[in-house]
Amino acid sequence: MRSKIINMAERMKDTEDAALEALFRSEPIADDGFSARVVSKVRRRVWVRRLALPLAVIAGAAISAPAIRDVAVIMNDLAGMLPTGSLGLSTAILPQTSAVLLVAAATIAALFALPAFDD
Amino acid sequence: MEADEHGVDRYLVTRVVAEQDSQAFGELVKRHQSRVRNFLRKLSRDPTLADDLAQDCFIQVWDKLHTYSGKGTVIGWILKVAYTTFLQSKRRSRRYDEIVEQAGQGAEASTDPSGSEEVTDLDRFLAVLSDEERAVMVMSYAMGMSHREISEATSQPVGTVKSIIFRGKERIRESFAIKNHQHG
Repeated sequence: MRSKIINMAERMKDTEDAALEALFRSEPIADDGFSARVVSKVRRRVWVRRLALPLAVIAGAAISAPAIRDVAVIMNDLAGMLPTGSLGLSTAILPQTSAVLLVAAATIAALFALPAFDD
Repeated sequence: MEADEHGVDRYLVTRVVAEQDSQAFGELVKRHQSRVRNFLRKLSRDPTLADDLAQDCFIQVWDKLHTYSGKGTVIGWILKVAYTTFLQSKRRSRRYDEIVEQAGQGAEASTDPSGSEEVTDLDRFLAVLSDEERAVMVMSYAMGMSHREISEATSQPVGTVKSIIFRGKERIRESFAIKNHQHG
């Protein structure tokens, strides 16, 4: 008797489940360019991400270049005021300090920028 | 056969994660777009909104695919992302609430359920369910996900998932649609 009740309950459950599945059933949706749109968005995002950091570094370097140059000039002037030989360096290199700093900034920017163009 | 499908999914996931291969990702999207869009259409009941959400969902999938642990099916994990995308969008947008309200009013206004088409029955049935119940019922009966998979996708204990499904069935039993489908 008990097993009959269980069987009946299971059968009811199966019928309900089947009816629910029928109710929820739906036709497959055709792609119609959906996946291509998603992939194109993804590729755009990849490029934006790749370029964001290098562009920020280049922009930062460009903006800070005049300031770096000014700092270098001031350092150069200050160094010129010191007695000869007190720095332990040849004073001949001091006039090139600004150029050295600018080249260093450009090199760092290029190091960040180049990986973006890997592929 | 199902294991093969899962194997293909895992192979594609590996290529996407290891090589950032957008072509492999495109293949993954092609394989699952129908289920994801169907799932979101049933949740939001607005095809346009659902397709927008599906796009957002796949973008999220691209961003987070490296966090897929390999447990469970790939589609189960994608549907979890889709559900989260839906919930986030719902919090952001009032449009959803307007649509639900309209659908709910349509359900109340209807007095002759026996003459309805299947889609309308489903719409009215979904309108009386909460978001959580709707998601669980759709995952179970439209997506064919197991209770464990639904539990993972919705971050609910398996017992809660079972009781939500039970409640959903109770509502079905009390409502019009199931009898019509069974006998007519």
